[in-house]
Amino acid sequence: MTRELNLNDIQGNITRAYGRYSFPFARYIFFHFPSPAAGRDFLDIVRKQVTTAAYWPTKKDKPLCTTNVALTFPGMLALQLPVRTLQAMPDEFIEGMKARAFLLGDRDQTETEEDALKEDWDKNWDPIWQKSREPGTLGFGKDDVHVLVTLNAQLAPGTSDQPNDALEERTQWLLDAATQTGVTHIKGIGAKGDQDYQEASTVFDKIGKLNLPTAKEHFGFTDGIGNPVFEGQLHDDIIDQAVIGRGKLMGDGWQPLATGEFILGHPDESQELPPVANPPEFTHNGTFFAFRKLHENVGSFHEVVEEEATRYASVMQVSHEEAVETLRAKMCGRWSDGVPLSKVPTYPEWVAFGEKMGFHGDGVDPIDGYRKNLAYIASPEARDFRYADDMSGFKCPAGAHMRRMNTRDYLDPMNKNGVDQKTGKPEENPDATSALNKRRRILRRGLPYGAPAYEHKDDDTEQGVIMIIMGASLFRQFEFVQQQWIQYGLDFHQGNNTCPMLGNHDHHKRHTIPSDPKSGKPPYVMSKLKTFVECRGGDYFFVPSLTALRMMAMGIVDPT
Amino acid sequence: MPDLDSGHIFLTTMAPILPGAPEDNPHSSHEQRVRMALARLPTANQSPATETGPYNSPFTRNMRNHLARMFVLNDVVYNGRVGQNALKAQIEGDKPFVPQKVDRLNAPYLIFCADVDAITEDGDALPATLTKAQQKEVRSSYAHKLWETMREELIAIYSNCYGFENVKSADDFADYLERCHVETTMPFHDYYLELPRFNTLPLKGLLYGVLAPVLVGIVALLFWLFGMQALPILGWSSLKTWILAFLLGGVAAFLAVKFTLRNGEKPLAPAKYDDLPSVLKSLYIQQKFSEFFIENQGASAAELHEAFGRFVKDHRPADRHSKTQKPGVISSSDLKNVTS
Repeated sequence: MTRELNLNDIQGNITRAYGRYSFPFARYIFFHFPSPAAGRDFLDIVRKQVTTAAYWPTKKDKPLCTTNVALTFPGMLALQLPVRTLQAMPDEFIEGMKARAFLLGDRDQTETEEDALKEDWDKNWDPIWQKSREPGTLGFGKDDVHVLVTLNAQLAPGTSDQPNDALEERTQWLLDAATQTGVTHIKGIGAKGDQDYQEASTVFDKIGKLNLPTAKEHFGFTDGIGNPVFEGQLHDDIIDQAVIGRGKLMGDGWQPLATGEFILGHPDESQELPPVANPPEFTHNGTFFAFRKLHENVGSFHEVVEEEATRYASVMQVSHEEAVETLRAKMCGRWSDGVPLSKVPTYPEWVAFGEKMGFHGDGVDPIDGYRKNLAYIASPEARDFRYADDMSGFKCPAGAHMRRMNTRDYLDPMNKNGVDQKTGKPEENPDATSALNKRRRILRRGLPYGAPAYEHKDDDTEQGVIMIIMGASLFRQFEFVQQQWIQYGLDFHQGNNTCPMLGNHDHHKRHTIPSDPKSGKPPYVMSKLKTFVECRGGDYFFVPSLTALRMMAMGIVDPT
Repeated sequence: MPDLDSGHIFLTTMAPILPGAPEDNPHSSHEQRVRMALARLPTANQSPATETGPYNSPFTRNMRNHLARMFVLNDVVYNGRVGQNALKAQIEGDKPFVPQKVDRLNAPYLIFCADVDAITEDGDALPATLTKAQQKEVRSSYAHKLWETMREELIAIYSNCYGFENVKSADDFADYLERCHVETTMPFHDYYLELPRFNTLPLKGLLYGVLAPVLVGIVALLFWLFGMQALPILGWSSLKTWILAFLLGGVAAFLAVKFTLRNGEKPLAPAKYDDLPSVLKSLYIQQKFSEFFIENQGASAAELHEAFGRFVKDHRPADRHSKTQKPGVISSSDLKNVTS
């Protein structure tokens, strides 16, 4: 029996990717607790405004601006929580993201720690993150980030590109709360450190005559389509549709993942309760996330794609335009409008599909096309596919970004490779399951940051994605995906090749695009990749339940 | 499963570590001295910290070793009292306040495991089967090879083990390792390009062979129970028939189990390029051929033909001993990692 979750106790950013619920703006604000009492007082004020996961039955239940809170380990240390509670928090959370840079590939993996420190490996991080958790401070650094408050805002009424006033009002209220309680607002965001908050918003673009929010990131890919769905997250009347392509395949169609994969205190996919710090009600209904500011080198990305496309066009005898769009899709796993390669594998099919669906083509009104495209990417149609029927990656390369982030049914150990002798077609593996995948799923929250799509961008302009990667275990879920699937390729038979989009390409610069021998075309290997996405800072955060926030505010976290 | 599988010897040896400490060094017990000697062994050059270092693992000095592992097994893990159903325990008289026997090892052991080519001369082809005596020869030959290439390290480690004081030569070391040898019960191998012919069990045949006499026995028993002394048509004594049939069934079952175990112990044939020199060569070729592929994307047939000719000449794919990656390194991109 599915246990109904106490959604009023769970923070709303766990169950909702706000960007998909018409909150196109976000603001991330960081604070430091100079004393435990100041921290407790601050949390006591903020917790009363926290947006929970409770359903919004009517439009007026939906806030104009949401508020959510998360703490780093130094933050919990500063609150002087009991040692017995602190020492049982996960070790990666205690260490923090900076200390895990080698494992994550955030610093050069061919260098020793000593050499990396000599080169000041995090010199490109935003000042706030360079100063937080300086080596040797062991969680007691004077500039450590202790708490993050995330605000997400709807559009202002009657506009298509302006945040609701509630964002500014909530920000002011928060800063007042900090002043009143003596908590320090930590600034130093941006390459120059001249921003007070981390701003984020969907990437806006001119569609027809309007400036509208899009579902794209700054390279121009449609993003955030396949977030996992877990038990208890969504209302019964929408779960059947929502779970398609976002849950797990275990022989009975798409099923929601176990709650415990994403929220502590509930059974997970290995049918266990993950070990947690005492008291149990402190961690119950909480979770963890990695906050990562990922800078996108838009200039390098376009240059490399252009150069590779020139060669690809000549090898494959196709137009330059087709080469660019095809290479981009083969790197990502989706065409730029979000249509998955696994369902629409070739360029001519994709052009025809877009025309059939009314996304583009002669006589299509741009705004109408935009709306139809948004409706499509929100539909199960855009998510309902597998990889076990494409083991060789003829449709979607095995090393493509999407296949790495969520392997779906590809890693089922019983899958057969090669050609089915009876049909002469690639093996279909119709009974493939999400084995070896369902314990490695991550919730992706967060939004892009940077200028609208139509403004000039290069490697030096500031744009990217604020990635908030959630899960019950940062070690088992996020760090595994980052280390094994993004920065390495063995599980996909790609050797040392890293993710063509997110991977570090300082040393491994290749991405293989397989080709069905029947097509008569050879495979193509992209070989000049540069590092397109760089981490510019961040840390690991604990997302307490409303109960845990109240316990911290009252100073009664008692593990005995 | 035996030590021999897929042309490799999966060696397991256990050497008991001496109790106490040497007289002249009472602060370092023999167990600690083994651990120190192991900690001082250089690892292979496969991480940023070791790639530029002057030392490689001593196991890279021979050309047979696919994997080697040495560690101290202090004791077997104690999992606590064996629990059981409270009612059953009561009936059996298992009293929870009486301590159960705890299994312990009689000493800490140095475990040495290795996956090596099952050959006695470098360059030999991998064998599909070996007699027990031949397997012993392979182990002995490997021990000799280790003594030749890493005698100093072996002495530093094993001089803390029971019975090693008399080991003075390669022959002595081979004898010593032989005394420490235990059977590997579950080797694991993963170099196959194509899966081999597995020793599939004729399950149906075995099942019918056992069930047929048992079925006859049941029928005869039923006749006998219902008072029929002789079987209809056949006229055999039903008593003798059911006894004989059950006996036959029992023997068949015993033989079937024996056959199954024997079948499981049959080694699989070696894969095509399974020996260490071939594996290293293939790592080298894989890297060089990837570069070749990238450089020649879009080349005309004539250009490709010519370039491939050069590739074969430069990298000699059929030659396992030159133009190959050295053991214990991470890639062939650095010339110092390549045997020219």
